[in-house]
Amino acid sequence: MTVFKTFWQIIKRYKMMILLYTFLLLLFGGLNMKTNDTSLNFVDSKPDIMMIHEDEAIGITKSLIDYMSLHANVSIVSEMSEEIDDALFYRQFNYVIFIPKNYRSDVLNGLKPSITVKSTGDYQASLASMLLDRFLKTQEAFVDSKLSEQEILKAIDDALQDRTEVVVTSKLDMNELSQVTQYFNFASYTLMATIIFIICLVLSSFHEEKVKNRILVSKMSYRVHNRLILMASFGYMLFVFLLFLLFGFLLFGFSLLTWRGFFYFCNAFFFLFVSLTLAILISNLVQKKEAVSGIVNVIALGSAFLCGAFVPVEWLPSSVLKIAHVLPTYWYIQGNEFLKTAEKLQISELGPLAQNMFFLVLFGIGFLGLNLLLLRMKQKRNG
Amino acid sequence: MEKIVEVKNLTKEYKTLKAINDLSFEVKKGEILGLLGPNGSGKSTTINCLLSLLNFQHGSIKIWDKEMRPDAYDIKAKIGVIFQEVAVFEELNVYDNINYFCGLYITDKNLRQIYVEEAIDFVGLQDFKKFYPKQLSGGLLRRLNIACGIAHKPELIFFDEPTVAVDPQSRNSILDGIKRLREQGATIVYTTHYMEEVEILCDRIIILDKGRILAQGTCDQLKELTKIEEKITVEVSDFPQKLIDEIQTFSNVLQVRYENNHCVIIYKKGKNNLEEFIDYLKHHHIIYHKIFSERPTLNDVFLELTGKELRD
Repeated sequence: MTVFKTFWQIIKRYKMMILLYTFLLLLFGGLNMKTNDTSLNFVDSKPDIMMIHEDEAIGITKSLIDYMSLHANVSIVSEMSEEIDDALFYRQFNYVIFIPKNYRSDVLNGLKPSITVKSTGDYQASLASMLLDRFLKTQEAFVDSKLSEQEILKAIDDALQDRTEVVVTSKLDMNELSQVTQYFNFASYTLMATIIFIICLVLSSFHEEKVKNRILVSKMSYRVHNRLILMASFGYMLFVFLLFLLFGFLLFGFSLLTWRGFFYFCNAFFFLFVSLTLAILISNLVQKKEAVSGIVNVIALGSAFLCGAFVPVEWLPSSVLKIAHVLPTYWYIQGNEFLKTAEKLQISELGPLAQNMFFLVLFGIGFLGLNLLLLRMKQKRNG
Repeated sequence: MEKIVEVKNLTKEYKTLKAINDLSFEVKKGEILGLLGPNGSGKSTTINCLLSLLNFQHGSIKIWDKEMRPDAYDIKAKIGVIFQEVAVFEELNVYDNINYFCGLYITDKNLRQIYVEEAIDFVGLQDFKKFYPKQLSGGLLRRLNIACGIAHKPELIFFDEPTVAVDPQSRNSILDGIKRLREQGATIVYTTHYMEEVEILCDRIIILDKGRILAQGTCDQLKELTKIEEKITVEVSDFPQKLIDEIQTFSNVLQVRYENNHCVIIYKKGKNNLEEFIDYLKHHHIIYHKIFSERPTLNDVFLELTGKELRD
């Protein structure tokens, strides 16, 4: 009990650090509440088009102007001027369409008059080009069919009204899930940092040669003492996990009381386990407490950056992601990303999540193995 | 007297260096045994072997007639150690530090509380219970270090140079504390390179050098090993060479040297050397500023045995 108590007494001395990381978690978790994920939201996009027509705005000419006006923000000008180039340069318009004189009569007479266009070459300009192409191809199809102008106009109108309805069938609330995922992703930094920082500092105190010698000459077996320290470390990990759980519910309410929420926390628990084993390994490697802060920054902050805790994974270059594969944070974040988009959470469909968690456990076992190896080597060296 | 510690032919080697070479000695119940030797003589290595902190190549160590091993927890339960370096937690205050180390031996919370309070009283840290190590002076830290080692009331206590870099006042306080521990029945093994400490503290002394025992016995027994009977030092501004040569011829004089206005005459025998020497100086009209006589010290013994001083 004394060992346990002392462990927590030492942790108490570092309460400011724990508070700092808790504050960071809450701050960024709270900020995430205000961000929206728009990756699955669709909105109409209207390019800015300037139309110059020297023809009379009747018949087919009018039909073209009306169609473009329906799908774009159209400004109509009666004659070409040099200012048009400036307007394009300054992106006041994305696209300029020039309708020549006698366009209507030439079309009706089967002459295929050319329409001059100017484009900024961007995405909006491509959209405008697609709209124009669609109209011209439809018009071409009906002009050759020996119909009257009225019949051609009606046929074009009917054909262009055909639309494909796109419906997002997902029942997921992407906005909330995105916020939850960001909270959990960002936590990879705060969780790892607080575990490594505190555990390393506390264990370093116990591992200090002179203190260690005192324990070694005492009535208590060093193995038993170590076991108690490990249990206390695990207790601290549980404390951090419960704190994280509490803040999760504070920020997202009872929406985390679902199977999805359960798996998010499971993933976080495995990640905390890996962080703990890593912290134990580092505490055996580090000779000086002063070095701990630097190590935390390199490992926790570095892996958070590389693995997509601060920026979406999709934005990271593939070379960075390749490196990230060797870091536990990557598999933790991949697990969160899977939970964000997984439609169903049936056991048969949880393969990718199970794989990510399996990798986390492997990392944990690997770190523990390295730790044992290191202790054996130290023992041999000390003779 | 009951043997508490029995060391036989202990040898500890580091690759080519023999840190301890065929060491054999005993520690008897209730005594203070001093291990005296210069830095690197093997004192701390001996203590670490005795405590099973270090493996050794040859020999045997028995404490309370049982072989001392890393898992000899019944023996360890009755041992206290005060290491050379202060071994405490920086993050714990005085009370919690003592409580923790006492807790490694005493599981009963109420009993431990009494023991911790007694240890604090013993080392005189009553006013510093809530202080953290960083807030304590060097002397107070040493006292905390001692309290951490003795709080569980051990029967055998190892002190490994506990007064290194300690002010004279704290040093006296530490030495007084060790005497009181012996009075309370503890057996003590005390290592140091300060001969004055072993002279005033130890019942028996073992002089170590290069991992070997040079001599052992009581302080007086050790001093008898030297050929020196008395050392007279006279502070004089001018001492003629012919007088130095003359004194050298006296049958009871071993050595005469004159350096930096100090003439040192080492006598190998004689009872009234000081009186006779003062008469000699008067007779030759030598005016001196100061004169004093010394009995041989352990340093002289060490010097005679090794040809070097303890502090070299």
